[in-house]
Amino acid sequence: MAKGETMPTLRSPLYEVADAFEANELFQRNGWTDGLPIVPPTETGVRRFLDAAGLPAGAVVGVEPVRRRRITAEKVAIAAVMAGCLPAYLPVVLAILKAMCEPEFGLHGVTASTGGSAPFAVVNGPVRHALGMNATHNVLANGSRPNATIGRALRLLIVNVLGGIPGQLDRSTLGHPGKFTFCLAEDEEGSPWRPLATERGVPAGASAVTVLAVGSPHQIMNEWTHDPKELAETYAAAIRANMLTYSIWAGNYAIVVPGQHRQIFAAAGWSKRDLRDCVHERARVSRREWRAVGKSAVAPRKDEDATYTALRSPDDLLVIAAGGPAGGFGAILPPWYGTKSLAVTKGIE
Amino acid sequence: MMTLKVLDPRLSAEGEAARLAAPLASLDGARVGLLDNAKIGTARFYDHLEAILRTRFGVREVIRRRKPDSSRPAPTDMMGELSAADAIVSGIGD
Repeated sequence: MAKGETMPTLRSPLYEVADAFEANELFQRNGWTDGLPIVPPTETGVRRFLDAAGLPAGAVVGVEPVRRRRITAEKVAIAAVMAGCLPAYLPVVLAILKAMCEPEFGLHGVTASTGGSAPFAVVNGPVRHALGMNATHNVLANGSRPNATIGRALRLLIVNVLGGIPGQLDRSTLGHPGKFTFCLAEDEEGSPWRPLATERGVPAGASAVTVLAVGSPHQIMNEWTHDPKELAETYAAAIRANMLTYSIWAGNYAIVVPGQHRQIFAAAGWSKRDLRDCVHERARVSRREWRAVGKSAVAPRKDEDATYTALRSPDDLLVIAAGGPAGGFGAILPPWYGTKSLAVTKGIE
Repeated sequence: MMTLKVLDPRLSAEGEAARLAAPLASLDGARVGLLDNAKIGTARFYDHLEAILRTRFGVREVIRRRKPDSSRPAPTDMMGELSAADAIVSGIGD
């Protein structure tokens, strides 16, 4: 592998390969990808992304707080090209990255932990339409280029820029499929509710991202009620199960509420606030309940009758309107580990 | 034949990565810092390690500190106290 010259403005070393196939082979061989093929990050391609974002290659766009890795626009553009993004996606990738570099996100712990979480990004505002993001059918999965490649660019940055390589800095025991990519748009138009970013302080009509380190999503199903309390109870029950079988500690849970459930909540006049209040009230367990799930050894370490809440306050719950119009399928997304990582919202510049 | 030039995606390619300090020639008479990562088993493990360091390797002094949170960096003042050591063992994992 011959190292070529360094270009005047781009600082990354260049490698010469025969073609795109060989470029992918080089990246696969060196562990510079997530296992899936990459788009070769050529100088022309990377410059196109930087020009679109109006950023000099050397601009520091984020600093990982623990290892103090200074992340440059050039490396973000390289990751975005590799992931299959279009240049117009770069501001969203940058906003998510900046959010992840805030100390309360705990990026190092999130990346390194055996707990194996993934950064989950929710996009709000006009940028969703400008990029053609998906907020409806199959929203937690495949099918949308911006959803898929924006999330993937972040994973490639974690691997190549932060050294989050499985078995090295990334010590995940299992991880989960969201670690390949985990990004969606909120279905603001199909929702009776205020958008997530607006609730979290971003001016109405502005584009923004919210990112949270989550475990794997857990689907719930309830198509047999029109009572908003019953529906909320199903989400709360899944959260209680997570508290018992995974972690009892309170933190930012997210729930994804599909169109069919939103109609029921809307008909009953329930706001996101009402839903948060109800889940806060219902998502509680005692240590004694650990005895029924194989954790009797740790149940008596403290008062077994003490109540543990999933949320420190109702505001800890992120309510996200997304998913196809038909079907009573929602999801809970549990926090990586209590409050060690908190959700962060950032405007898109 | 047309070829393709691709850019290195790694930050470490620019020399940003941290490096380990050079190892000590000997632990005899050394002052060793043990940074506890606040996981459940670390204190007990370090009790054993400290005993071995003192009795088998002649370590003169051990500075032990425990991080307030396993997922966060050690506070600056704690790092300052540990910097008096000739070598530091930093606990990771469980």
